[in-house]
Amino acid sequence: MQTTTAINLRYEERRGYIYHINRIIRSLRNDLGGVIGLFLFFSISITAIFAPSIAPYDPLQQNLRDSKLSPAFMEGGTWKHLFGTDKLGRDLFSRIVFGTRVSLLVGFFGVLIAASIGMFFGLIAGYMGGHVDNVIMGLTNLILALPYLLFVVFIASILGRSLLNVILIFGLTDAPLFIRLTRGEVLRLRESVYIHAALSLGAKMPRILFRHILLNLVGALITIATFEMSGMIFYEAGLGFLGLSVPPSVPSWGNMLSQGRDTLTTYPWIATFPGLAIMVTSLAMNLLGDWLRDFFDPHRH
Amino acid sequence: MKQLFITFTLFIIMASMAVGCNNATPESKEPPQDESHEESSVEKPAETEDESPADDAADLDKEKVLRIALTSQLNSFDLPYTLERTLRNVTWAIYDSLVWVDEQGNVVPALAKDWEISEDGITYTFHLRDDITFHNGELFNADSVLLTWQRGLNEEAGNKKSFQLVTDIEKVDDYTVNITTDGPSPLLLDTMSTYWGMVPPKYIAEVGDEEFGRKPIGTGPFMYEEWVTGERIVLMKNPNYFREGYPKLDKVIFRTISESATRVAAIQTGEMDIVTRLSADEADSLRDKDGVEVMKYSIDRVYYITFNNLTSGKGLPTENVNVRLAMNYAVDMDTIIERLFNGHAIPATGFITANNFGHDASIKPYGYDPDKARELLTEAGYPDGFDIGMACPIGAYTSFDDVCQAIQGYLGEVGINADLELMETGKYWDLESKKELPPLFGESWSNSASESLIRLEGLLRADATYSTWTEPTIDDLLDKITMTAKPEDRAELYKELQQYMHDNPPFIYLYVPSTFEAIRNNVKDYTPRAAENYFLYETIVE
Amino acid sequence: MQRYFLSRIGQSIAIIIGVLFLVFFMVRVTGDPAALMMSRNATQEDVEAFREKMGFNRPIYVQFADFITHAIRGDFGNSLRYRMPAMQLVLERIPATVELASVLARALGLIGQSVPNFWLALILIIIFAVNLQWFPSFGRDDWKSVVLPAVSLALFPMGQFVRLTRATVLDVRSQNYVRTAYSKGLSKRTVYFQHILRNVALSLISIIGIQFGYLLSGSIYIEFIFSWPGIGQMIAESVAGRDFPLIQAIAIFTSVVIVLINLLTDMAYVIIDPRIKYG
Repeated sequence: MQTTTAINLRYEERRGYIYHINRIIRSLRNDLGGVIGLFLFFSISITAIFAPSIAPYDPLQQNLRDSKLSPAFMEGGTWKHLFGTDKLGRDLFSRIVFGTRVSLLVGFFGVLIAASIGMFFGLIAGYMGGHVDNVIMGLTNLILALPYLLFVVFIASILGRSLLNVILIFGLTDAPLFIRLTRGEVLRLRESVYIHAALSLGAKMPRILFRHILLNLVGALITIATFEMSGMIFYEAGLGFLGLSVPPSVPSWGNMLSQGRDTLTTYPWIATFPGLAIMVTSLAMNLLGDWLRDFFDPHRH
Repeated sequence: MKQLFITFTLFIIMASMAVGCNNATPESKEPPQDESHEESSVEKPAETEDESPADDAADLDKEKVLRIALTSQLNSFDLPYTLERTLRNVTWAIYDSLVWVDEQGNVVPALAKDWEISEDGITYTFHLRDDITFHNGELFNADSVLLTWQRGLNEEAGNKKSFQLVTDIEKVDDYTVNITTDGPSPLLLDTMSTYWGMVPPKYIAEVGDEEFGRKPIGTGPFMYEEWVTGERIVLMKNPNYFREGYPKLDKVIFRTISESATRVAAIQTGEMDIVTRLSADEADSLRDKDGVEVMKYSIDRVYYITFNNLTSGKGLPTENVNVRLAMNYAVDMDTIIERLFNGHAIPATGFITANNFGHDASIKPYGYDPDKARELLTEAGYPDGFDIGMACPIGAYTSFDDVCQAIQGYLGEVGINADLELMETGKYWDLESKKELPPLFGESWSNSASESLIRLEGLLRADATYSTWTEPTIDDLLDKITMTAKPEDRAELYKELQQYMHDNPPFIYLYVPSTFEAIRNNVKDYTPRAAENYFLYETIVE
Repeated sequence: MQRYFLSRIGQSIAIIIGVLFLVFFMVRVTGDPAALMMSRNATQEDVEAFREKMGFNRPIYVQFADFITHAIRGDFGNSLRYRMPAMQLVLERIPATVELASVLARALGLIGQSVPNFWLALILIIIFAVNLQWFPSFGRDDWKSVVLPAVSLALFPMGQFVRLTRATVLDVRSQNYVRTAYSKGLSKRTVYFQHILRNVALSLISIIGIQFGYLLSGSIYIEFIFSWPGIGQMIAESVAGRDFPLIQAIAIFTSVVIVLINLLTDMAYVIIDPRIKYG
């Protein structure tokens, strides 16, 4: 009896696997944006993973005598520095390549923390209701009502500036969104017909929460997560503007953009390349998010 | 893709809608406060779209209006409390002191006709002018001097140091005062011209301190008209100004633009007549623009990296003089100046700049010599270098975070591994005042007096808030300078001090920068000084 | 339902006090402004005397108790920088922020979240203020001066809002009850307004509260670049200058607004969706 179920399950899974691949292909065939988004996303991820092999220079290597060199395709540029160099003579192309890592790390782990916190507390709040719900939602509102900048300065001055702390800041400040979404979804589903059906069939509520509600949420959460990832890449740039992002020893797009902002008219490439990198990455995330939304829409096909 | 196209179209539609919505109800908005704008809003029908800044300038031309961009928000018109030095330029348009320092650096009479100094150099007797009235008609006299001094001594007054020089003021009669100092004080007159803006006792008694800081009354060339916090400060001409025939302007409008890139835009569009504190790159970008004139002048501000033998640097390699010399040789200051400031700065040779009394021009910068740096490090017993903490403030000074990173790079080349932290300024200055920053940290110190004594004592006296280094030899020299009245002897002592501080550097000396300003070319007789000070009574807008 | 509302209001007050305490604590841990307020050549005694006078040396709970007792009486202290009542300074900035936000609402539906807004702001200034001279580059004078800051600020949250709306509409449209409604023969219009939008509103309402917080923090960069005299600029300045009373006054103001918005949206939730029960 037990073994048969296990075998059945595995069979189900395998069938699901092939079935899902087919679904992905079918869905992509009608969605150019999705294809572009996926393509860009993979290219960016590969750039991030193989950054040391792709980048021709150490992104931190300064050479002040060669600072502010134009990109190769502009007048005065050399092919030694494809995107030119920044004010300290660091190779911009190498910095952009390594910056991919920072942005993806910040985006991915920031969202991971926010979503984990958010789903955990959102589920509890939505499921338990009453005082627990009140306390959790109260804390959520507390985070929302705190001046963001003060929070950032606080973290930076207590824990110092580091990649980890930037991720932590984003994870914490973005958690309320996921808490609210999860809680709202739980409240909605808790009253829905099929949960009632499952309950009347004798299923226990916690099991229902995780098997039904959570699975139902995955699509929505992944979609939001991609949007939020692109959001965090922006927030990183914003922190760079305030000088509160990762330390200067970490090549981040936000720091680069901020360094180049007083030379937008004289040496425009210093800020333009990181700006474009952010644009492309976030475009990729958004296209991906749109496609994922459609893909996870359980009723569309 | 189609989606993108649609959103873009939507953007165009929405943007025009947003514009349209606003355009429909221009009357509902409160009219701007200054008259020039009121006039133009009466004349122009709501539909007129082409109100270009050029028209605006033409309007302003009838009434001579000067528009100046400040870099931070004015905190108070009350001189004992003004925080940033550039903000004092606003207050100097409103107040006068007893004396004034002219462009050649001579102390000349202002509200005092003349003065005598006692033999021992401790008592100053000022004879005041009896024909001066405040903007509200109140008469200026000795009571005003007394009150000005007393108010400056308040514990909350950030600039109280400049009033503590004086221990007593005696009112001899309505137009004579005796001012007693705590010792011979060569900087007293200089300091008075900067901080002692004369205030009206009756008005202050009437409105209170708080209100006075917001709606000031002085004797200066311009009178307070309005201050909309965060938006604008408007001053108008004082028709009864004591310097006859001045001021030349009818109105001065100060507005704060903190972002330098925006200041660059505002001078190009003609929205501002004077913008300050541009970076070298920004100044270069403005050079070929019509109607804009770029000004460059060297300011009396020295940038440095500290060594520390008071707190965090105790027992570290930097206590060894050869290590400190090595670090000075390791940094290629010329290249930093060339690449980060487009050549517009000079390497610092110490804390007495070319503008200061007692400057010794024979002392040259160390120059970039990494081999010598390595040699010195080996001699000191650190052939492989060492690790050390370093910090710099972010966003506080033009290009300074880049400078700090460059220095970190140069130190790395001779084996000194500096762990650089770029810190938010609020935290930075708090830690600095508590002497809790890492052993190496980057700062600058400006000086508005002709002598560098305040700067030297602030940096090298153990009990000063911002000092990090102390040495008996330096203390001795400073003591001697303070007690010596004769200028020639003082100059000799200053030279001795410079030589000592060159051979035993308590700092990595960096650079003395130039500052860049841009003005519209119809602004004349605007002459900012080495401490970024300016006085507007002579300035003209053609 | 009345009991629910009452408890939510009580909770809201608790949140405001919580925010206040956190802000009070956080801002003091990051260093005090004595050094910023005293001139560079001040001796350590002068700086200490200032700290003493301002009460920064007292235990933090004593300072907090002192602050709360004054706050209850409507006295939020004087700004350290401006030496004026802090709340008055905050209230002076409100109209500018509200103006920016309301124009923003009209500019809904812009390109979307693909450009960092401060970078965009600088580029917009170069193109529209310097080159084309259509709009002023900074300040708050006539209607023209609000256009560039509003556009730069709107791009991100509005993009997100549009996307979320779309996602939610698609989601709701495929629900069983919508199909049921269609199969009942109801007109498309009726289904949209009666069934779909009502449910979409629920999800969106919960986003609005979050977006408001974003607007405040996002407007920091935009207000800074455009010298827009709103709350965002004041937040940046007061945090950098450690102007404790001013930060506290801002925190009180913003937390009251955010808590109010959330309170209203939660109440709207209950009213719009009667299926949601509260204990």
